[in-house]
Amino acid sequence: MWDETIALTGRELKKWLRTPASVFIALFQPLVWLALFGSAFNPTNLIPKSFGPVIITDQMRQSILQDTFANAPNYITYLTAGILCLQLLFNSAFSGGSLVLDRRFGYMNKLLASPISRSSIFMSRVFATIVKGLLQATIIFVIALFIPDGLRLGSSFGAIDVLLLFLTLFLLSLGFSSLFTAIAIRMTKWETLIAVVNLLNLPLLFSSSALLPISSMPDWLQTVANINPISRAADVARTLIIQGSIDLSLLASDMAYLFAFATVLTVAGGIASIIALRTE
Amino acid sequence: MDKVIEAEDLTKIYTGGVKAVDGITFNVDSGALFGFLGPNGAGKTTTIKLLTTLASLTSGRATVLGYDVSKDPDKVRRSIGIVPQDLTIDNELKGIENMLLAARLYHVPKDVAKDRAKELLDLVSLQEAANRLVSTYSGGMRKRLELIVGLIHEPKVLFMDEPTLGLDVNTRKIIWDYIMKLNKEKSVTIFLTTHYLEEADALCGMTVIIDKGKIIAQGSPDQLKEMVGGEILQVELSIEKDLSNIFYSVNGVKNVKRTGKSYSIKLSEAPEVIPAVIEGIYSNGAKIKSISCSKPSLDQVFLEVTGKDYREEETAQAAMHRTDLINRRG
Repeated sequence: MWDETIALTGRELKKWLRTPASVFIALFQPLVWLALFGSAFNPTNLIPKSFGPVIITDQMRQSILQDTFANAPNYITYLTAGILCLQLLFNSAFSGGSLVLDRRFGYMNKLLASPISRSSIFMSRVFATIVKGLLQATIIFVIALFIPDGLRLGSSFGAIDVLLLFLTLFLLSLGFSSLFTAIAIRMTKWETLIAVVNLLNLPLLFSSSALLPISSMPDWLQTVANINPISRAADVARTLIIQGSIDLSLLASDMAYLFAFATVLTVAGGIASIIALRTE
Repeated sequence: MDKVIEAEDLTKIYTGGVKAVDGITFNVDSGALFGFLGPNGAGKTTTIKLLTTLASLTSGRATVLGYDVSKDPDKVRRSIGIVPQDLTIDNELKGIENMLLAARLYHVPKDVAKDRAKELLDLVSLQEAANRLVSTYSGGMRKRLELIVGLIHEPKVLFMDEPTLGLDVNTRKIIWDYIMKLNKEKSVTIFLTTHYLEEADALCGMTVIIDKGKIIAQGSPDQLKEMVGGEILQVELSIEKDLSNIFYSVNGVKNVKRTGKSYSIKLSEAPEVIPAVIEGIYSNGAKIKSISCSKPSLDQVFLEVTGKDYREEETAQAAMHRTDLINRRG
């Protein structure tokens, strides 16, 4: 089973790397979000310079910002963690895309008539998506560091934080790509996939702490945002970036939540796919 | 083992009630090039799907190389190769990559796979194009690659679903040559579906004709043609006089149909009978305005067994298919 999964994952990645346009465009979107949200909609600018007779000093503005945005030194630092999650979500959303094409072009029948484990068809798409996503996340992370007034890492940020950050993003991507792969497993139309992705993507994103703190949301949305795994992943990523992993107990419950999220969706998606791929 | 495929009372009813295959029984001998002939929608692809484990049987039983397709699908899958109707080669991979990927899915060791791939690419003259992306191939080249990708794990049986569909006449002949070469040189049993009568005629030793999910005739193309009788002589005469009885008196004439001055004469053994017929015409003072002799075709077999013209059937099916597509697009 593993050999087949690796072979099919290789197929996905080879094809991806051969289409530089798709690699580039996939990177472009999160960078635009980073630039637009980080600069144009930068909420720091919403804090007035004075309020009636009261002058609000830069120092005060900085402290209001840090209070609101999880102690981030600037909004882009707060946002980068969210954009990394956004990028993995958008990337995962199309993890079943190649399945739709394989059905359309008959390649799926060839796979089904060969003696491979049915789960390798599912797992190969999930793994390929995770590899793509983490590669793109790395690039976005590096670019964010070089943006003027961009991402500022906490003083204690080190190797262990990088590892934990990637583990977090891995879990988020594993969960979402399993979900979206299972959704696409019997789809024959690309249009249907796009409709489903559009339906899910933005609501998932805006009901999370990826772009703005949960405390700024109405109560009902806070409830949703708290169970949204994107919030958990963004919070962990943020803690790691801003404070480092000094206090692991702060991260433990969110990490456990993400672990459960990824496990449940992988197992459920895998089983659903095997059932869906059974002989008619 | 002499029987590579044994199908007994094979039936497939799709959810929705469409009876695609309706109780068919046939055997395929080892080493055969077996033709499964019928118009579009006759149940050919469904039969292939049943035999290659892509669809489940509603009733009946089928074994491939002795393995039951319902009980032992994995063993069947391991021992067969498939050339599907659609071009299923991955366009965005190179020719050789497609072959090595297939080899990995069938657990062929890498060095063995490389040797075999080289040999197979040579066999269909694709060695030069092996390192190019398939998207740069012509339709004929793709089909050739498709033929050999299904052989990388040296299956004992190769299923081909309409291997020359949509190819031009020349390319079709080239593919025919390769199919016969694979059958002989690799001694692989080939089960091939087609709706081209001349294809079954040119390639297959044994043929089954299927229509509306049922087998309507079965035998070698020669035997099938024997069913309709021998050759057919078309003559147009210069005079109105009815010469039918003269023709009937010639030994070897089986049947005469007259429309005015034109006759359609069914012969048993053509070479000796034709001169006798011509002599009969001249001795009765008539002259020949035109004469032609047509070999019996599977076309006529189809007409004989179903009472329908094969081509008409084709067109009707195609029209139905088109409306179906339009409806589905809605």
